[in-house]
Amino acid sequence: MRAVIALMKKDIKLLFKDKMAVFFTFIFPLLFAFFFGSIFSSSGGAQGLKVAVTDLDQTEKSQVFVEQLNEASEFRVTVTDEASAKELVRTGKQVAFIILPEGFGENYGGIFSGEPPEILVGIDPARKAEAGYLEGSLMKLGIKRFELAFSDANEMIKQLDFSIDDIQQSDDMPAEWKSLLSDYLPKFKELTEQELAKQPDGAGSTGLNFGSDGDNPMMPLKITKEEVMVQKTGPRNAFSITIPQGVIWAIMGCVIGFAISLVREKTLGTIDRLAMAPISRTQILAGKALGCFAAQAMVVTMLFTIAYFILDVRFDFIKLILAVLAAGICFVGVMMFFASITKTEQSVAGMTNAFLILMGMIGGAMIPLFAMPGWMQSVSHISPVKWAILAFEGAIWRDFSYIEMMTPLAILTAIGLVTFFIGTRMLKLKQA
Amino acid sequence: MIEVRGISKRYGDLQAVDNLSITIEKGHIFGLLGPNGAGKSTTISMMCGLITPDLGTVQLNGEKPTDKATKHKIGLIPQSIALYEELTALDNLSFFADLYGLSAKTKNERMEWSLQFVGLQDRAKDTVSEYSGGMKRRLNLAASLLHDPEFIFMDEPTAGVDPQSRNKLFESVLELKDLGKTIIYTTHYMEEAEKLCDRVGVVDKGQLLALGTVDELIEQHGGDSSVNISSEQGEESFMTANPVNDLMARLRELTTVDNLSLRRPNLETVFLNLTGKQLRD
Repeated sequence: MRAVIALMKKDIKLLFKDKMAVFFTFIFPLLFAFFFGSIFSSSGGAQGLKVAVTDLDQTEKSQVFVEQLNEASEFRVTVTDEASAKELVRTGKQVAFIILPEGFGENYGGIFSGEPPEILVGIDPARKAEAGYLEGSLMKLGIKRFELAFSDANEMIKQLDFSIDDIQQSDDMPAEWKSLLSDYLPKFKELTEQELAKQPDGAGSTGLNFGSDGDNPMMPLKITKEEVMVQKTGPRNAFSITIPQGVIWAIMGCVIGFAISLVREKTLGTIDRLAMAPISRTQILAGKALGCFAAQAMVVTMLFTIAYFILDVRFDFIKLILAVLAAGICFVGVMMFFASITKTEQSVAGMTNAFLILMGMIGGAMIPLFAMPGWMQSVSHISPVKWAILAFEGAIWRDFSYIEMMTPLAILTAIGLVTFFIGTRMLKLKQA
Repeated sequence: MIEVRGISKRYGDLQAVDNLSITIEKGHIFGLLGPNGAGKSTTISMMCGLITPDLGTVQLNGEKPTDKATKHKIGLIPQSIALYEELTALDNLSFFADLYGLSAKTKNERMEWSLQFVGLQDRAKDTVSEYSGGMKRRLNLAASLLHDPEFIFMDEPTAGVDPQSRNKLFESVLELKDLGKTIIYTTHYMEEAEKLCDRVGVVDKGQLLALGTVDELIEQHGGDSSVNISSEQGEESFMTANPVNDLMARLRELTTVDNLSLRRPNLETVFLNLTGKQLRD
């Protein structure tokens, strides 16, 4: 075992001595995942939060608010019924639902009395950033009801009449407040009427200047939140898709690097030294395989650590370990196979590159599997890259059960064992 | 002792080695000479167990070279520079020592000894890619001596090195002989064989054409000496098996001699007589 470990350590050391290999194994996959993840993320953000809106109030005011939501760049609105809105959020198709309950319009118009208009917002509690963004954007819209009231003098007088009546009829308002407002609001109405009289005809709707909105202590909206447990049927974010792709590029880098290193052992003659040592050929090949596997494990660990802590990618740890193991076995076998059928470093590099890039193209390393046309998804079955990505995605966002994980894991392991056996057998025959 | 009995190896239509038998005594340096493609490397590869012969046997102290215990006794210096050029000399030696399962203490001692033996102790931490051709050859030798092998197989160890490094390698080979090692040495250079080898075998087309000490080979296969005389009678030259007697007799017949040369056969003559003068590329 000491010789096998020595072989593995030597190959890892050689890998890190090769700057190009380090770039393509460790840096390029990260850049790939980060670059495409950022592109997909930012394009999603620019289109606004996807919200499902239900107007249970069906008043003029509630319709105005829905219209404002529609026009706001912060949102992409789908108007639907309450049940559908909740289902859309639960299934992850919409980020949040916004329900305008009955009475919304009545309170929307009340500035000096009554309650602030209430809306019900439902969102996955895990989406803290989106929840904060959503609340802020809704408050911004809520402030518009004050603009609406204060910008139209006739509307203002109507509001003041409504409020004076409301205060007079109120039983639960403290006497001091009732006295103050009963004194203040009629005077305010009088002042507004005087100001309106000074305006040219028709200018009432252009508004009166009563100071900034920021002085008003009243709430724009009362937002009631509801946590929605989202059924995870989609990726958490764009990085959940690009990280498995980046991992595949990293693994391909390892495969190419180690296949070349194994062929180089033959061309340099170091394979003769290894063969002369008191270790079996199986140990030599096991050392090579372990080196390739260890390099893959290192780069995958690095990528998923970055993905977890920086890119907010979440995964099932056990399933991810299984995926890493199966993909490792598969691609170590592929490495061994190509190293066995080629004689020069150029030929192994060319052949392995061509094979892996083709498999990557049809296997989802460039275009995500779910975005492929149907016929291409069928063709992708022949690619080990597809099964590796599926295994990683199963652990990340496809929410595979262990039974569902079995298919990609078994296929990867089988490909690995078959190619490893053929590769080692052919290498043995050549050495005999 | 190494005993090679009737080994043969065929690659397709090519009979690389054909029924070759040699016995090499312990502590001897045995030279294997032959033109390109004669079968030297295949023979040495079968002798050290790297290639399995189609026919025949090889025994090192009565054991097969492929036995694990025997492998500890074999050191192979391949024809190519079988080193990892991106690593330092120390990294290379450390890796090869690990393959032989040396303890940490022995490993450090042997690495130090090997580097000193080939005169590279001052460049141990340099990467091999920074070495000259001669230094690489010397490190190639050091890497094969880490486990203190009893049998050392050297496949053209001086190919492409400068005179200084070649001289250092000669000294190293003779030192190894003094340490009691049995050395099998293939080369193109006749003077190397004449200088180093106790016995020499000449192979061509996979067959052993001659075997013996250098003097025995010259006597058996060297042919006549060449005599050239310049005198008042002009230039004359002749071949003779008994140059001293024939030359003395001729000189008695001449009054003045302007120039005289006597060229005895050497290993190169033996080699060309046995393998012919046709180019082998």
